[in-house]
Amino acid sequence: MHKALVLPLVGVMAVVAGCGSTASTGKAIKPGPINIGVIAPFSGPAAEFGTLISAPCYAAGDLINQAGGILGHKVQCTPVDDTGDPADAVPNVTRAIATISNFDLAVGLETNTAATTVPLVNRAQINMVTTNGLTNYDTTTDKYFWRLTPADDANGAAMVQYAYNKGYKRIAVVFENNSTDTGNTPGIEKAAAKLGVKLVTNTTIPADASSYSSVASSVISLHPQAIIFDADPQSTATFLSNYSQLTGGKLLPMITATDSLTPDWYNAVSAAVGTSFIFNKVDLVGSYFSTTTQAFYTYRNALLANPKTHSLADTLATVGPPASIYDGINIMALAMLMAKSADPTVYNAYVNDVVTPKSGAVVVDTFAAGKKALSEGKKIQYVGVLGPVTFNKYHNFAGAFAAARFTGSTTSVNAAIMPGSEISKLLG
Amino acid sequence: MHLLVQSIGFGVAAGAVLALGAVGFTLQFGISNVLNISYGSLMSVGAFLGLFMLGLGLNIWLVMVIGGLAVGACSVVLNRGLITPLVRKGMAPFGLVIVTVSAGIVLEYVIVAVAGPATQTYGNRSGATLNFLGWTLTTAQVVIFAIAVVLMLGLHLLLTRTQLGRAMRATSANRTLARSCGIATSRISDIAWFMSGTFCGMAGIALAITIESFDFTLGSIFLIPMIAAAVLGGVGQPYGAMIGGLVVGIVSSVSSAYWDPAYQSVVAFGIIIVMLLVRPRGLFGSSTATRKLLA
Repeated sequence: MHKALVLPLVGVMAVVAGCGSTASTGKAIKPGPINIGVIAPFSGPAAEFGTLISAPCYAAGDLINQAGGILGHKVQCTPVDDTGDPADAVPNVTRAIATISNFDLAVGLETNTAATTVPLVNRAQINMVTTNGLTNYDTTTDKYFWRLTPADDANGAAMVQYAYNKGYKRIAVVFENNSTDTGNTPGIEKAAAKLGVKLVTNTTIPADASSYSSVASSVISLHPQAIIFDADPQSTATFLSNYSQLTGGKLLPMITATDSLTPDWYNAVSAAVGTSFIFNKVDLVGSYFSTTTQAFYTYRNALLANPKTHSLADTLATVGPPASIYDGINIMALAMLMAKSADPTVYNAYVNDVVTPKSGAVVVDTFAAGKKALSEGKKIQYVGVLGPVTFNKYHNFAGAFAAARFTGSTTSVNAAIMPGSEISKLLG
Repeated sequence: MHLLVQSIGFGVAAGAVLALGAVGFTLQFGISNVLNISYGSLMSVGAFLGLFMLGLGLNIWLVMVIGGLAVGACSVVLNRGLITPLVRKGMAPFGLVIVTVSAGIVLEYVIVAVAGPATQTYGNRSGATLNFLGWTLTTAQVVIFAIAVVLMLGLHLLLTRTQLGRAMRATSANRTLARSCGIATSRISDIAWFMSGTFCGMAGIALAITIESFDFTLGSIFLIPMIAAAVLGGVGQPYGAMIGGLVVGIVSSVSSAYWDPAYQSVVAFGIIIVMLLVRPRGLFGSSTATRKLLA
């Protein structure tokens, strides 16, 4: 080869190699918005859940877009219908991964379908903020898995702790036989043993039976002081109605999970047994966060401002899983800014950095504040609706727990707070 | 012992609703020989029509009658508009099953489009609680049981004492022979679909009253127990379906009182499998004719 040709070729190769070295910022963002896939049921009996889980995405997305977006791109919440069925979810999620442009973050991936959807999203190397409560993800090594809600066994332990704090020593446990509800059981059993609470029965019921009278009759015969119960709205209404018929209208105090804090549940149960029961005897246990912080007001106002989420704002704002999605999206969006890339394989490494306390860091409670601080070359620590977040090595975070009470069809108030450390001890 | 007696009572109440649905299902199958899987969705249509009429302030029992008749009309439209044309084109029975499955899905999503996917309720329509014979039942359950008994008796009289009943039995036994004898078999088929739909709609409303809250999947959820009740009684046997419904209801109820309630369906269907192994034609199917009562 002529020397005259070799030198320019070496030069070209050097330029190409140089280009290669800048690839640490990952794949470029295609024109158009960055899509946040909301993987949740949008059809079938659990369709309401898709609406509820989309709301925090709209809130976070609106605020991010108002702040100028991420790296010059708007964000967009894109529904991915997992139908609530793990088998049906596979083709839908696979298609979404293959066809949605700039699919750089997924949220939702709820318990019923997580067993199939989480591996798909993780294999596609897309970061996810999941609300699933499956305990097998407590120690997951999935790199793209991030969870800011407690696993179901911790929630179960918190339910027993709350019952114990209320002075109940004889408790009936009745759950619908699905993975969401029965995931509470191991925690309930461990906590009951440690606290000396007697579980007079610990049983499961099939969903949507035409009658639960036999189960109700069995529970009544065991004379519990309270019942820990979780089922879909229809089954709950039927069970309570059957129970009420057998006791002349008297119902036990009920401890349930905050996933019951929905208009659907309220409407079904209030029609069956009245609002007095709901307001006075139902406690909903779930993850706790303060409703007096500026971060919370910003979140709630964003829900109120969007016509799609306005009517749900009061209910949603106080429930843990939606708040975890809101915070999760902000954390991921700030990680993208820190990484200067929306490529999940790149910004994944910055997620912990967004929430970790460090000297000289500016504490920010919104994406806009974080973006501004980063643009000024400052370090940041995001402290959002859930308060300070510390991910463990399995990308899990579980904070404190609270018991809430309905104050209206779409509103609730916290009745008690239980530190996360207290619940962890019960599970240890 | 008290729990056993109570559970039997609960089972009878639940079984009465199942029996209503199962009789309608088996009546239509006995005449037209089409396994109509959209039957469950028609039940849901009945429940939602009931919701609409209750919103107009109508009495719940009047709603049950009107809703039943309306679903009966829908059932005839389904037969005339979809099933009969496909039968005339020579579609195989399996193909017809798939068509009814598809029609059922379409019906469910029509409900979603009109009424939304959220849980609906008639409110508490149970009435006072009644205690007798060791049973604890609500007024609504007793009334539904009485309605079921009256409808069954009416059906019995229709099939055994009237010209129409004889024509239905003849059509069920041998459609070609019945037609050659001058029976208007397509009209008989329409009547069977109408009666089946009426039972279906009434069962849907009865179910909605009993379980307090429901959504568009209401009928689909209860379709399998209803088919099981019909098969247990002997396919095409209205009396068998009545007894089958009660057996499924009682076994489910008693098993959930003494065993893990999550397995109540397993117990009920396990017993059905065993019974059918012993008596493949069902409780009321004879060894010489599967449709003795209709034929």
